[in-house]
Amino acid sequence: MSDDIVIGMAGSGGDGIVSAGDAMITAAALEGYHAFLTKSFGPQIRGGESSCRVRLSTRPVLSSGGTLDVAVALNWEDFLKFGAELPVGGRTTVIYESATGVPAERLPLPGVTPWESIAVPIAEMAKKNAGTEKAKNSVVLGLLAGWLGVGRDSLLAGLRKKFGKKGAEVVQGNENAFAAGVQYAEAHPLREPRTLAAAAEAMKEGKLIVDGNDMCAAAALFAGCEFFGGYPITPSSEIMHFFGREVWKYGGTMMQAEDEIAGIGAVVGASFAGKKAMTATSGPGMSLKTEMLGLATIAELPLVCVNVQRGGPSTGIPTKSEQSDLLQACFSAHGDVVRPVLAPTSVADTFGITVEAFNVAEQYQTPVIILSDQEISQRKETVDPIDTKAFTVVERRRPTESELEKYERFKATDSGISPISHPGMPGGNYLASGIEHNERGAPTASGEVHARMNDKRIHKLDPLMRRRDLFEIEGDVHAPVALVSWGSLAGTTREALEIARREGIQAKLLVPRLLFPVAEEIYADFFRGVQAGLVVEQSHLGQLYRVLRMYVGVPAGVAPYARSGSNPILPSSIVERLRQIVLGLQRQRVAEVEPAG
Amino acid sequence: MSTITRPVEEYQAKDYKSDLKPIWCPACGDYGVVQAIYRALANVGRPPHQIAFVSGIGCSSRIPGYTTAYGFNSVHGRALPIAQGIKLANPDLLVLVAGGDGDGFSIGGGHVAHAVRRNVDITYIVMDNQIYGLTKGQLSPTSPRGLKTPSSAWGSLEAPVNPLLYVLGYGASFVAQGTPADMQGLSAVIEEAIRFPGFAFVNVQSPCVTYGQEDQQLKAHKTTMQPLSSLGHDPSDRLKAMALASEYGRKLYTGVLYRNPDPPPTFEAEARRRQEETKAQARPKDRILEMFRPQ
Repeated sequence: MSDDIVIGMAGSGGDGIVSAGDAMITAAALEGYHAFLTKSFGPQIRGGESSCRVRLSTRPVLSSGGTLDVAVALNWEDFLKFGAELPVGGRTTVIYESATGVPAERLPLPGVTPWESIAVPIAEMAKKNAGTEKAKNSVVLGLLAGWLGVGRDSLLAGLRKKFGKKGAEVVQGNENAFAAGVQYAEAHPLREPRTLAAAAEAMKEGKLIVDGNDMCAAAALFAGCEFFGGYPITPSSEIMHFFGREVWKYGGTMMQAEDEIAGIGAVVGASFAGKKAMTATSGPGMSLKTEMLGLATIAELPLVCVNVQRGGPSTGIPTKSEQSDLLQACFSAHGDVVRPVLAPTSVADTFGITVEAFNVAEQYQTPVIILSDQEISQRKETVDPIDTKAFTVVERRRPTESELEKYERFKATDSGISPISHPGMPGGNYLASGIEHNERGAPTASGEVHARMNDKRIHKLDPLMRRRDLFEIEGDVHAPVALVSWGSLAGTTREALEIARREGIQAKLLVPRLLFPVAEEIYADFFRGVQAGLVVEQSHLGQLYRVLRMYVGVPAGVAPYARSGSNPILPSSIVERLRQIVLGLQRQRVAEVEPAG
Repeated sequence: MSTITRPVEEYQAKDYKSDLKPIWCPACGDYGVVQAIYRALANVGRPPHQIAFVSGIGCSSRIPGYTTAYGFNSVHGRALPIAQGIKLANPDLLVLVAGGDGDGFSIGGGHVAHAVRRNVDITYIVMDNQIYGLTKGQLSPTSPRGLKTPSSAWGSLEAPVNPLLYVLGYGASFVAQGTPADMQGLSAVIEEAIRFPGFAFVNVQSPCVTYGQEDQQLKAHKTTMQPLSSLGHDPSDRLKAMALASEYGRKLYTGVLYRNPDPPPTFEAEARRRQEETKAQARPKDRILEMFRPQ
């Protein structure tokens, strides 16, 4: 019996591996499990290799997990292309297509002896039971249902629904293929049973299945976003697709622009016209949007700009996750600019972060960047029901009747936030401009006014740095060992912390969801008494570590644990580093007590 | 354009003039253009607060600040996308865009074709002076071949853009030209462009007194301009309009070159229709996440 299973599957494009993954997570949600589904593809538009990882658990899951418990290879060439994304270890059950002709004792997995290797005539079973090899994925689902005891009824119901449109014959064929898989599994028990424990009955209610991009777009609609302008770019396009389907229903508009600049340009215009507006892109698009972000900063116009990060620079690896646009998000600006940057840590968290991004944008009249990443944006998660009523939606500060009598768009106030009018509002007429302007909006080249306005635009954001609710801290408060992580890596690091603490390591973790401006005091409090630790992130430079070094007294023993994208960081490897850190601290202590003669 | 208009006599040109003093050189053609815009707006009769006037960067892009409308003096070359966002966010507004030939046909050239085909109801006025004035006299995209400037000491090696022919070629439904040398004609084409239901383009030959050529000044326009009305041009004839437009740089035709007698629907009208058709499918916003429930 297990309570947590990680399955990795790979095949070529037409094998339906990814749709098998979709079927698994749907069945899992209906049966009350917590699950993650990550998909990974080769660069080909159609065909080529495709894979997915499904993690199923009776407890909430925070990452896609480490080494696979069950690996499914429809052919070895495609499977091996995913390398470290589908790691096979000594405890892995490998299920593979027997037609590959590879003997079980000679799998092409150098340096690894799996727990067991089972060659199954998957294609043959599909052909025999469904009359077509296309049903290979139904056989695989049957095998997994049989061996793991997961979702037999839900999977069958899913197959019926999926193939219903294609006629009774196709449905029957796939049901037969599924049943053959189940029978095969029953007739060939595993070396040790891997049956997944049943989920708690209460968990079956109301679970959602959603990926980060859809969650982001839905949250934007919830927050009152009425305009989306954007340009297709992997891996953020699904946000635009969602708006194209949904926004009209809520009285809003979507514009697929001619380029990234026009996409954010239209958003700047919509915001000027008084509407909440958003754009979404990935790294190269962010570079193109940068001038417009500067305009929104100086014109003090609210907008939300999502950057779903991928491997960079330039085209980089568009289909793989990385956290290497943090420096760009914080610092790519001409002039003195502070621009809020928020990062979700999971699909579920993407809801709150997106609503927060709109709230910050509207309250402080500033562009806000949401730094998501490919992992979160395209990963499907089971999400427990979210009580949307618990989220406040903030509207921009409009001028009152009396303020409109002698309206000053950029009026000096204690908070630095001035009432904002919009075209159509009588008496609110003003000139918005990228040129420096005085309180009334009139263009100026005065150094004095420029300094005053810079001060206003920068310091109006100060309250953000006291937003402790945008920081998650867990673990032992006084621990000498600290972890910091963000974005999709936060979940992995959280799992590492749990494992480490079970081993008796005293450690704590800080997860910033507000990355910029840097909340200096919150970090200072967290690092007090810390002797060593890791800043865990998916970038070569260790960009968060670098940013923190600019603003915060990071203890000398805290080092970056940073790797380029597409090289997964596993909870186990973080724990291993923590062990080394603890050993180092112990040696140091010994050396202090007994100085070497 | 929306239907919210007041009686014509309620607004006068001065109601659209702001207190800001223009930075333009004395006798710049743009003074005439802004006057023509005041007059056209007064005739259309929309109150200033219902007007959004967007520009990019350049001498002429200062123009929104000289009006009492909601103005947006944005970044170089990007006025059109911003203006489309404004109009789509609030289709009841009257949206004007203005800028120079460099703003519209060089750095922002990529946006023109798409503004045309998207057909958002905005009016785009280009003040074409064939030179970069604000940056002190470099070549512009409409500068004639061979022109000597600080950035082309030996003369330009490039053929100029033909704004009229480009915009006609992109498929625009309303294309006109004017010059401040004929104020009445200029304000009339601007007014007609504003009233046209869809994307409308007006190229204004607005000379640069400081860096422009001698023979391109307003004084010369008075003798070289040829009102299309006096030529018996039929503005519904697109091919004839293109033939006339191809003489850009050699002839100064003024008036409406092309007006589509059967204009296509605007983007915002289609958007509104789609909103109406789908609004019954909207979930209450606090239950929006239920769309992600597995079935």
